[in-house]
Amino acid sequence: MKPIEPLLTVSAPPHAHCGHTIKQHMRDQLIALLPAAAAAMTVFGFDAVRVMALSCSVAVASEAACWKLRKCDPQVDDMHALIIGLLFAFLLPPSAPWWLVIVGGSASVVAGKMFFGGLGGYPLCPPLVGWAICRISWGAAMDTNATMLNSTLPAPLHELKNIGVPWLQNVDMSSLLLGQQLGGLGAVQILPILAGGLYLLARRTIRPTIPLAFLAGVYLTALIFRFVDPHAHAPALFHLLAGSVVLGAFFLATEGSTSPMGLISSIIYGLLGGAMVIIIRVYGIYPDGVPFAILLVNLFTPLFDRIRPKPFGGSRLGEPYVGGC
Amino acid sequence: MNRLWKEFSKGLWNELPPFKVVLGLCPVLAVTKTADNGFGMGLAVIFVLTLSNMLVSSVRKVIPAKVRIACFIVIAASLVVCVELLMQAFAYPLYQQLGIFVPLIVVNCIILGRAEAFASKNPITYAIADGLGMGIGFAMSLTVLGAIREIFGYGTLFGVQILGSWFKPFTFMVEAPGAFVCLGLGLAGMNALTNWQRRLKGLDAIEGPKHDCASCGMCNIK
Repeated sequence: MKPIEPLLTVSAPPHAHCGHTIKQHMRDQLIALLPAAAAAMTVFGFDAVRVMALSCSVAVASEAACWKLRKCDPQVDDMHALIIGLLFAFLLPPSAPWWLVIVGGSASVVAGKMFFGGLGGYPLCPPLVGWAICRISWGAAMDTNATMLNSTLPAPLHELKNIGVPWLQNVDMSSLLLGQQLGGLGAVQILPILAGGLYLLARRTIRPTIPLAFLAGVYLTALIFRFVDPHAHAPALFHLLAGSVVLGAFFLATEGSTSPMGLISSIIYGLLGGAMVIIIRVYGIYPDGVPFAILLVNLFTPLFDRIRPKPFGGSRLGEPYVGGC
Repeated sequence: MNRLWKEFSKGLWNELPPFKVVLGLCPVLAVTKTADNGFGMGLAVIFVLTLSNMLVSSVRKVIPAKVRIACFIVIAASLVVCVELLMQAFAYPLYQQLGIFVPLIVVNCIILGRAEAFASKNPITYAIADGLGMGIGFAMSLTVLGAIREIFGYGTLFGVQILGSWFKPFTFMVEAPGAFVCLGLGLAGMNALTNWQRRLKGLDAIEGPKHDCASCGMCNIK
């Protein structure tokens, strides 16, 4: 007897969707990152290529190994691991030694993403997890200033920490915008990163609330500090253009599963993250506060997600509708 | 004799304190920077746990049920003060390393847990066996965890350099986040081992928690 063919197909919802796929989303992100990668290549030369290539390949290989270990089909063709690797490389100094890139790249994917079950499950932005592990372990090798002594470019945030505001007299904001500074190899290519961010906004891959709120948070907090004591704190525009603020706003803070969903919650999230950047830069021991600031606000995300839109017929706080009639 | 061995040996593997019964995490996370520290802390806990089990068991019929927790704490606190003074006298460097975590043994869940769950219901001999077994299991786990973190974090084991000069100390492992990651990996490894043993015996594996509605709550809008 021949087995009975099912008459109706049974599958899990959603049954209709708009046609966007994870792969498209990731491809857009990758395209948005390419100008910055090219700029890093021209500024820092072969060193930058070496770090980016090694980081990407390690990230993809370790994700594939994790899927094998879980006895699943490797889902690395969604290119997410590639983006994690590239973003992690963007935060490193171009002179990073090979073992640092390998440990950090695999830690980003394994500890940042796969420990939590893969795409969509992680609470913290994966490249930043790798960055934090490396920064805590090998501070000297991760120091973008101390490892690039043969470069003529200034490291604005280190100089601000060490020398203070007087150093800023001979720094030109437009040169900062053009990437004439030391920092993470891709993070300091401000103009290409900005172009990539605008591309993402135009393609609607990310929504504008988080980047705008993040930049506003940085700007407003720096403005407050500047207003309180102009001799002790750098101008607000300097904080926007120095270090990895722009990369953080467009690529790291907007990471899908680590940022809140609603309008109000994502505005608060961005403002808090931006404020945290300046607080770490002013009071902390780390020159560039962006990675730790974003890790901190990522932890707030589940809390912000409790700010919900008002459901139809119910109340905002989620209490059942008890209205009478 | 058979039961005595059973009570003693359950703390060594089946109910191994930090890994199987997830209790007493404060010292597990805080003092296991090196194998030395872990071992020292383990010895202190063996001492306190065995004696507190013995004392609790011997006075179990005298203590009124309503104030039993307070009594257990007083017994444990007295013993911890003994340990603290002994350590200051005979192992001062270790005392300086462990710092606040020696007095904190008083509020260690294992001490109170064994007193409440076992010693207050069983005769002295079994209580001593139980305390000794649990204490040794705890000391073992702390030493192993400390050894792993020390090897990766400093490249040494019990203070002896075992990894060559090529090794770049992975400082993350001896910082606070490394403690959590190590403990998590330890628990995962332990669960995998248990499931593997069960599968060898032909039993079903124990499934972990699933991602279900209880872990999300996003649709909790009534």
